Amino acid sequence: MEVLQNINNNFGSYQQLISFYEKHKDDEFMNISISIRSWFAANMSSALGAVLDILSNNLNTILFSNNSEGAETILKKNLFLSYYGNYPKKYDKYHTTIPFQKLKQTDGTYFKEYIFNQLLNRDEMPHMSKAARDSIAEAIYEIFVNAQMHSQTNSIFVCGQFFPNKDKIEFTITDVGKGFKSSVNNHFNSNLTSVQAIKWAVQDRHTTKKDTPGGIGLARLSEFIKLNQGKMQIVSYDGFYEYTAEHEKSSSFIGEFPGTVVNLQFNTGDENWYSLKEEVDINDIF
Amino acid sequence: MDNVNINIYSVIGNSFCVEAEDGEKVFELLSKALKEKKKVVLSFGNIELLTTAFLNSAVGKLYKNFTEEELKDNLKVVEITNNGAISLKRVVETAKSFYKNPDALRESINKILEE
Repeated sequence: MEVLQNINNNFGSYQQLISFYEKHKDDEFMNISISIRSWFAANMSSALGAVLDILSNNLNTILFSNNSEGAETILKKNLFLSYYGNYPKKYDKYHTTIPFQKLKQTDGTYFKEYIFNQLLNRDEMPHMSKAARDSIAEAIYEIFVNAQMHSQTNSIFVCGQFFPNKDKIEFTITDVGKGFKSSVNNHFNSNLTSVQAIKWAVQDRHTTKKDTPGGIGLARLSEFIKLNQGKMQIVSYDGFYEYTAEHEKSSSFIGEFPGTVVNLQFNTGDENWYSLKEEVDINDIF
Repeated sequence: MDNVNINIYSVIGNSFCVEAEDGEKVFELLSKALKEKKKVVLSFGNIELLTTAFLNSAVGKLYKNFTEEELKDNLKVVEITNNGAISLKRVVETAKSFYKNPDALRESINKILEE
């Protein structure tokens, strides 16, 4: 029985998921039993879902048992457990879940409906101007488009959680693609570590697209997160990177996550951050 | 006809301009018109959301084949939101620098490796 203990949005929790993955990545035709104890941050379903999908593709059977009541409740509400057995959806009384979804690389149109129906247009969202709402949508889309590019033919896993009392949304997008290190090193024939590759990629205008300018999405997201007093975490293979208005942290894991997790925390209580944007003269763009 | 109107909404059939692949369709049309020395009006009417991934493909790449002067003289954007204009301006500045200094990215990698 594998125990996942107190999974939250932090380095130690990602390390638990990585250690679990490393232990079982070569298993085939096995029963893998998991028990989730104490807390489980709902949006982390995205990262766990990606790991379990790889293990399921090796024809292992994933079984959950002896979960803490709180964790099981939230994972029934957000439909995560429905992927792993006969777990009926639990009524979301406070309407705070943003469901776990496994998406295909081509599901861009469906993702639009998901983002607006499940997140931005919900009655529970605090009053936000259209500009603020669109900025959050754009930020999420920049990450989704990156995930589409990196995932190639693999799935993308998304999940979120709304915390109305804390004016906070956590939203996570995970792909099981090649990751930052491989993208950067293949492009430049270099040997950067995962942390170095992530830190390079979040800088403005840094891109690995062939012959096409780019590298704005992640840089703009960092600026947005700073204004919004939010948080961004990137986990890619053995690299961990966290950015807030107050700090930038990075570290290396023991073992590797089989892809990339981007975890975003938005502050929905702040109405001022988006008004800092400048005005642009459309006759002076080129 | 010296003037050409390109309506993004009608090209991609969606108010969400998010994927680079859709930007590519707009790029092809812009390139064709600009090569023929047409004056192009690019309309963002009814567009609700723009990513820089889309704009890099649609507009940023033009700086590879056309000069800044050619684009200033022959390309005009209309009906774009202020949010969209901010993104577009940033994409344009990034593209100019990308094609002016093609070695800059490699140099930034070398700098990390030397640290």
